[in-house]
Amino acid sequence: MAWVTWRQHRAHAFGALGLLVALAVAAVLTHLPIASAFGHDSLSACLPSAPRTGCDIIVPHFESEFSGLVTATRVMAVLPLLAGLFVGAPLIARELEFGTYRFAWTQGVSRRHWLLSKTALLAVGTLVAAGAASLLVMWWRSPFDQLEGRIGPSGFDIEGIVVPAYALFALALGVLAGLVFRRTVAAMTATLVAFGATRALVADFVRPHFVAPLHRVIAAPSTSAVPGDWVLSNTLVNAGGQRVTAGNEELAVLHAQQAGIDPHTYILTLGWKRIVSYQPAGRFWTFQLFEAGLFVALAVALILVTLWLVRRTPV
Amino acid sequence: MSAPPLVAQGLGKRFRRRDWALRDLMLTIPKGGIVGLAGPNAAGKSTLLSLAAGLLAPSEGSIEVFGRNPLQAPEVLAEVGYVAQGAPLYRSFRVADTLEYARRTNPRWDTEIAIELLTHIDSRAKVGALSAGERARLALALALGKRPRLVLLDEPFASLDPLAGRELLQLLMDGVAELGATVIVASHVVADIQRVCDHIVLLSSGCVRLEGDVEELLDSHRLLTGPRRPLGSIRGVREIVRERYSGRQQTLLAITDGPIADPSWTVDPVSLEELLLAYMAPERLPTPRRAEGIPLRWHG
Amino acid sequence: MIEFHLDSQSGVATYLQIVRQVKDALRLGTLDVGDQLPTVREVVADLAVNPNTVAKAYRELEHEGLVVARQGRGTFIARTLAPASLQHHEELREELERWLALARRAGLDEESIRALVSTTLRESLARRVA
Repeated sequence: MAWVTWRQHRAHAFGALGLLVALAVAAVLTHLPIASAFGHDSLSACLPSAPRTGCDIIVPHFESEFSGLVTATRVMAVLPLLAGLFVGAPLIARELEFGTYRFAWTQGVSRRHWLLSKTALLAVGTLVAAGAASLLVMWWRSPFDQLEGRIGPSGFDIEGIVVPAYALFALALGVLAGLVFRRTVAAMTATLVAFGATRALVADFVRPHFVAPLHRVIAAPSTSAVPGDWVLSNTLVNAGGQRVTAGNEELAVLHAQQAGIDPHTYILTLGWKRIVSYQPAGRFWTFQLFEAGLFVALAVALILVTLWLVRRTPV
Repeated sequence: MSAPPLVAQGLGKRFRRRDWALRDLMLTIPKGGIVGLAGPNAAGKSTLLSLAAGLLAPSEGSIEVFGRNPLQAPEVLAEVGYVAQGAPLYRSFRVADTLEYARRTNPRWDTEIAIELLTHIDSRAKVGALSAGERARLALALALGKRPRLVLLDEPFASLDPLAGRELLQLLMDGVAELGATVIVASHVVADIQRVCDHIVLLSSGCVRLEGDVEELLDSHRLLTGPRRPLGSIRGVREIVRERYSGRQQTLLAITDGPIADPSWTVDPVSLEELLLAYMAPERLPTPRRAEGIPLRWHG
Repeated sequence: MIEFHLDSQSGVATYLQIVRQVKDALRLGTLDVGDQLPTVREVVADLAVNPNTVAKAYRELEHEGLVVARQGRGTFIARTLAPASLQHHEELREELERWLALARRAGLDEESIRALVSTTLRESLARRVA
């Protein structure tokens, strides 16, 4: 089945290779000004662990200079989905649509063997390609990661081991969708929706709770984020520990302004505190393991369901 | 080794929310014959072949190929050569690729047999660029190259011109002679299969209307023509299959069990096509035909 | 080597047609003792007929002692049919031609002649069997 899989999917392999090469070229070209600015401004001395004076000016300046590019790299979050759309969804759907399953499934290999071999081989290819993309992003983002950490949402899902895990999940999702919907376009749509929904749900509701978040009381004014950490929430509580509503907070600020006092100092004298709930930067790899593990487990479950369903599906 | 190539018992197949494509089918195909599966469109021929090829699961009853359920024991598919209607193949593959595909997915692949069917076809040609006749030959080559013990062909002659059809039939017969395989050919055109079949199974609306050895069927049926008159029992006639009237004449298609002594009847043999048409007619009883006494079931 | 042909419209079983063609060839002298008949595969590939049918025809000929099958080498003519019948053929042929002239003068066309001959032949054979 190795030859069969290669012959039927070599276009995908070349496409992925081409895409990676194009991305690598773009990455190298766009990284040059970044690296030069980083070195020129000695931003390596501004890392969160030991910032020197003046960093609070040059760091934001650096970040805003390249904020467009950083935002643009968010598109890499779509990459794992491509495995599901273009490799996974057509796998079975195309055979059913064009009737070639009547040829493929009547040779000397069982449907399950056919499916398992193809999926396993394509999974390996997917993992390799996604891994390469992840490494590329990690290299490109390293200046920003050093300055602002990567456990936060802007970097977490396009770096590290989660990227291959997402891709594997998308692949498995696509294959199952192809079997259930029997038409490539419908399968692709379903894959897109399911992948997006799952990723969003996990990112918003599951990921914050992989490990119990830490809490920090901020006496400093406003909502300054500690660079590198991932802030989950920021709550103002009164002296009794109860949450202060936005309405009451505004009232206090107004009151302070009328009295001519600095609002932040006034809030402090009231005994109010800001409690920040966050995940520290050092937990990055732990979180990566949790999330990657979750998506790999989902992928395996989907593949098992597909294997079970493929034999039972009356065509 | 001793299990017959195909046994269906109480086999039924229903697709979602539709009528039964096959209902309560009882059939045994003996080893080594060439069986014609005849019947009009939507008779259930394709459904039966798909069930035998392990592409469908029965809704009720069972089907066994060489004693095994093709869905539960997929290794039996290595012994079955199946060509679906329209001979679906990967259009973007070259001929050589398709052969390689078959070689790698079938344990008993024999390139020699396959190549014999592919004379004058360029192995580097894309499957999508082949003519209908060439594609049919390729599909047959892929089926026979597996060295199957059972060959299932679903309307192989549809969309072929007479020359290509004759060529395909020649190649099929040659392949069968070499392999000693059992063949089931489904076709709604009787003339295509009449030439080669020893046995016939007539399906209509999901039921077997007629089955038996072709020679015995033709021997046991006669066309009686005579002046129109009320019918009593006719000596030599076991059963009347169909009656036709026109003007002062009546024609009967009858199962005979002896010579027709009454000289007022002109007795003629009946062609296979005529016989099948008569049994397909809607005024026939819906229950499957199985007349006692006539050896309609053949044995091994 | 003899080449067979099949008349699929004649209503005569294929294997009988093959047997008859071998016998005709023997009578006409185009096949002689020791000549090899085409292999089953050759006949099948040429005529597109069931291999069992050809095998049946060859078995029938073997049963009548006209051919002998040598394992692995083929089927060969074992004896010929009396050539004396050739002579009778000539007389029969001339009589037939005279009859045909009569039929044509009576106004029968080719189709009608064929129909008359087939029906009469069938009935006479049936009478012989009955």
